[in-house]
Amino acid sequence: MRHTRPAAVVLALTLLLTACSSGGQQPAAVGRPVSGGSLTWAVEIEPITFNPHQYAQAKARLLVWNTFEALLGHDSQGGLVPWLSTGHQVSADGMTYTFALRTDVTFTDGTKFDAAAVKANIDQFFVEGYNPAVLAVQLRNLDRVEVVDPATVAFHLRQPDVLLLDFLSSPQGAQVSPKSLKEAKNLKAGGPELAGTGPFILDRYTAGQEVHFTKNAAYNWAPANAGHSGAAYLDEITYRFLKESSVRVGALTSGQVQVIEGVPATDEPLITANPQLSLSLSRGLNSGSAYSYYFNTTHAPFDDIRVRRAFREAVDVDAVLTGVYRGSATRAWSVIGPTSPFYDKTLEKTYGGDAAEANKLLDEAGWTARDADGFRTKDGKRLTVRLVQSAPFVRDRRDVLAQAVQAQVKQSAGIDLNIAVVDQGTATQALADGQYEVFDNSRADTDAGAALNLLLHSGGAINRTGFTDPALDKLLEQGRAGTDQAQRQAVYQRVQKLAITDQALILPLYAPADQIAASRAVGGLGFEPTAGVPGSAYHLWVSK
Amino acid sequence: MTLALPRSVARRLTRRRPRPGLAAAGLVLFLALAAVALPSLFAGDPLAADPLRVLQAPSAAHWFGTDQLGRDVFDRVVHGARHSLSIGVAATVIAVGAGIVLGLIAGLVRGVADEALSRGFDALAAFPLVLLALLFIAIAGTGTTSLIVAIGIATTPHHARVVRAQTLVVRQAPYVTHAVAFGVSRLRLVLRHVLPNVLGPIPVLAMIGLGEAVLIAAGLSFLGLGPQPPSPEWGAMLSEGRGYLHIAWWASVLPGAAVTATVISLTVIGRLLQNRFEGRPA
Repeated sequence: MRHTRPAAVVLALTLLLTACSSGGQQPAAVGRPVSGGSLTWAVEIEPITFNPHQYAQAKARLLVWNTFEALLGHDSQGGLVPWLSTGHQVSADGMTYTFALRTDVTFTDGTKFDAAAVKANIDQFFVEGYNPAVLAVQLRNLDRVEVVDPATVAFHLRQPDVLLLDFLSSPQGAQVSPKSLKEAKNLKAGGPELAGTGPFILDRYTAGQEVHFTKNAAYNWAPANAGHSGAAYLDEITYRFLKESSVRVGALTSGQVQVIEGVPATDEPLITANPQLSLSLSRGLNSGSAYSYYFNTTHAPFDDIRVRRAFREAVDVDAVLTGVYRGSATRAWSVIGPTSPFYDKTLEKTYGGDAAEANKLLDEAGWTARDADGFRTKDGKRLTVRLVQSAPFVRDRRDVLAQAVQAQVKQSAGIDLNIAVVDQGTATQALADGQYEVFDNSRADTDAGAALNLLLHSGGAINRTGFTDPALDKLLEQGRAGTDQAQRQAVYQRVQKLAITDQALILPLYAPADQIAASRAVGGLGFEPTAGVPGSAYHLWVSK
Repeated sequence: MTLALPRSVARRLTRRRPRPGLAAAGLVLFLALAAVALPSLFAGDPLAADPLRVLQAPSAAHWFGTDQLGRDVFDRVVHGARHSLSIGVAATVIAVGAGIVLGLIAGLVRGVADEALSRGFDALAAFPLVLLALLFIAIAGTGTTSLIVAIGIATTPHHARVVRAQTLVVRQAPYVTHAVAFGVSRLRLVLRHVLPNVLGPIPVLAMIGLGEAVLIAAGLSFLGLGPQPPSPEWGAMLSEGRGYLHIAWWASVLPGAAVTATVISLTVIGRLLQNRFEGRPA
């Protein structure tokens, strides 16, 4: 079905003959980077917003860093490095973080980047309803921001909190021009109205189709670990939203786009078999929390821990992942991803995949009768649990994964998992109304502590389990207050044990990872250090 | 093709020539009906998934291969017949029923009611069927029931216009004017003398309309607006399998072939009925 032109065949054969020693997995990167040219990249997910402060989709992260930058960046060892700052100091009591800022940076609307701009960005979060989730977690302990002088800004905390640094390196902590913050008509949606300091300018967005960036010619403040300086190589880059993996792969093999991300394992042979294409898999997995199902404990049936355990035992996660991802996915055993320093390895193989145990637990919980369709019932009510998936967040065929889990729990334990893939508004409403029993989520926070505070703390914005426990809250607060890594690790191990083993609040499924496939003419492809997601377009170039 | 020939010649020709197409259509419909009536006789559980046997090519164990969840595609196609055909039949029943009632009213009442109804039919008929059905689903929500009603409403004007035209002819017929002269009650007049004589073309129309309804149902299910997963509906199966078309054509092509074969068969048989009907003096 693929359109093969004779010229392409000749070229392919020539390439094979001249370069048969080059490995199939190697990214292109032949020769030296060249400036100029344009590129089209097909991405899986369309962002629900282009305002970095509202960022919520890990798959949108690569777009954020084209236009915006943060005070801190990450290096490949998981450490923080200066970006729009030149360095920072923490006071002895851990209550004040003082940043020295770069003085050579301007926003693309001409506004100068300085301490007042940083303060304006942080103050924006304190506007009612702007981003309550970030305010409640990442900025929970922030008292105020002080402009010491134009090149120095101080963050005063109410109590010690290491998550501040993670926030200042995250997309939500990215710096938006104070002028745009004041003047943008649709601030929360973002778009061309919002100016940043990044190497590209978002100048055109067509909803449902594509977003277009042109080079910021004045850009000359790349962080030291960027590998090159000055303006980006590419003159322009277009990201097309192609949510079907087969369409993305087809667009790449037919030459309509030069780069795609999100390559399912089933389609990888199509890329590796084509000598003109390269495939790069992120070395590590995404940081943050694993993709997991969270059980809503606020009402039946998951208010009963036996039912939560039964659901977990009813799913043979290994088999499901093998089926859906062809063994390319890494199984998760904890809410924290396996690459995080806080991951508790002792949770591995402590639960799951025991259908007999699942049935025993459900019998004990009183779900003994069966209806005509083979589902368990209690008092004439079917054991139905609802999973509401928001379409803009469905990546990596998570809808198919849900169907595989649905078939498993039905076959092994007679549980009726009802799946609905709906638009973002409907999903938000269902979650707000408690009209769900299973919530699915993964987060790409670079510090897993941020994810845990959002997901498990009684005040967390996405605490969809509804589980509250003062002891757990206390642990989570200890985890963010301490700067000692070993101590934080010990605290988060207790958190994981409580959530996974003791309370069975969560069914962890897999650790998300990213894949990039591209034409061999494209160089500079790679993944963002620590986060593990595809990097920004700053490094990309096209050979002529 | 045979229309240019004198009818008697044409009929002799068609009778002499074997009709493999028609035989095939009959066979397909017979199989489809058998699948609707007794799916479990021919196929296993369409929902039984085996994650360790996903996307397997057709073989002796799995005639149509397996899909992305390791379900047997043959089992699903057989069970899907009930979903797809019953949606088509139910939608056609709604369309024909509503079409008869509305057409009769328009044809008999005349005046403002006729004008209003006829212009309404014209307006609805001006839109593509799928668009109308989509509009309804947008209002009523997704699911099998709203899919049936949507297609039923969208195809109603077609039937209503034919019934109205027939009614206008029949109401002028001598037996009707005589019945009026004999003082037959209005209800009896409609039910006894008008209705039976306007229904002539309906079975043919319904047969062809059924094919169309099955096709639209599959199309809307493909868009995710019909029965929800894991229901084995043909259009939905096509949709679920299309992401794997490069590597496992059978998961989408074979349900697609089932839709195609059924719709073509319904149309072939509908056309045959139409020829028969038109060949007989009315």
